[in-house]
Amino acid sequence: MFIVKRLIIGISLATVVSGLFFGIVAAQTQPMTDAQISQIKNNCVSAKSTIARLHANDALLRVNRGQMYESMTTKLMARFNARVDSNHLDSKDLESVTQNYNTALETFRTDYQAYEESLSGALNIDCTKEPVTFYDAVADARTKRSRVHVDVIKLHQYIDDYSAAFDAFTANFYKLSGAGN
Amino acid sequence: MEEPVPVTAEPVLSFWDQHRYMLLIGISIGIAIFLVVVSMALYESSGAAQLDLSRPGYSSVTSQAVKNDGDFQNYPTSGALDKASLDQFKSLYDKQASQAKAVDAFSGDPLSPEVLELSTPANQ
Repeated sequence: MFIVKRLIIGISLATVVSGLFFGIVAAQTQPMTDAQISQIKNNCVSAKSTIARLHANDALLRVNRGQMYESMTTKLMARFNARVDSNHLDSKDLESVTQNYNTALETFRTDYQAYEESLSGALNIDCTKEPVTFYDAVADARTKRSRVHVDVIKLHQYIDDYSAAFDAFTANFYKLSGAGN
Repeated sequence: MEEPVPVTAEPVLSFWDQHRYMLLIGISIGIAIFLVVVSMALYESSGAAQLDLSRPGYSSVTSQAVKNDGDFQNYPTSGALDKASLDQFKSLYDKQASQAKAVDAFSGDPLSPEVLELSTPANQ
């Protein structure tokens, strides 16, 4: 049941990412018409204003969510693993999930940094003079933002996985110690 | 009668001896510039820049940053494991996990050409 659930989530993630990727690639391979270039020039100032607001809101999200994701591992997972270990109990499954979570957290940090740099680059382009470059930069930032969202989904999944590993550990602990009734 | 003033030979100073204070100031400025370049490179490459909400452009959201997550308690690393300690962890973990998962961060597609009105009606 657990494996099936993870398989479904994995397939869903792959579908979303590949859909976005192919959508963006398809959009980029189409030659840009004069009408579209004109549309970008006309609307890019308001688009840049929207992007600037998104840039600030995403930075806030990164700080607040990042702090929470960080605390999940440093204040709870790692500390509980240490306590299990100090009691000479088997914490292998819990440590394995924690390690996966930490790897996902590192990927989240790296992907967010790449996204922010890409979005800042787009904001620095003079879109009235370089509309195509601006459009491509926004498309690049869009792909990178979707990657950050995938990282967030993975982190949430690992938070659930740790909870499941904890439940399994507890069940086993009560079975061995005869407590919990 | 005046005593004769001893005549001492004028020491011959090299160019760098004559400009040693300028040299000292120049080297100090050079070291300061080097250290600033190194620290800015670290600031950019480490990801600290992305977490710095005091930068220009972020003033509208600076006040909304969570500065103290004091309600996020540390679980004690020492002590025996029993039902009470396991229940305590479960309660702490479930509470924080539900908060961590409450926001589907970076979802949606706010950078799509349609949302930003960068695509012509024919492309929509």
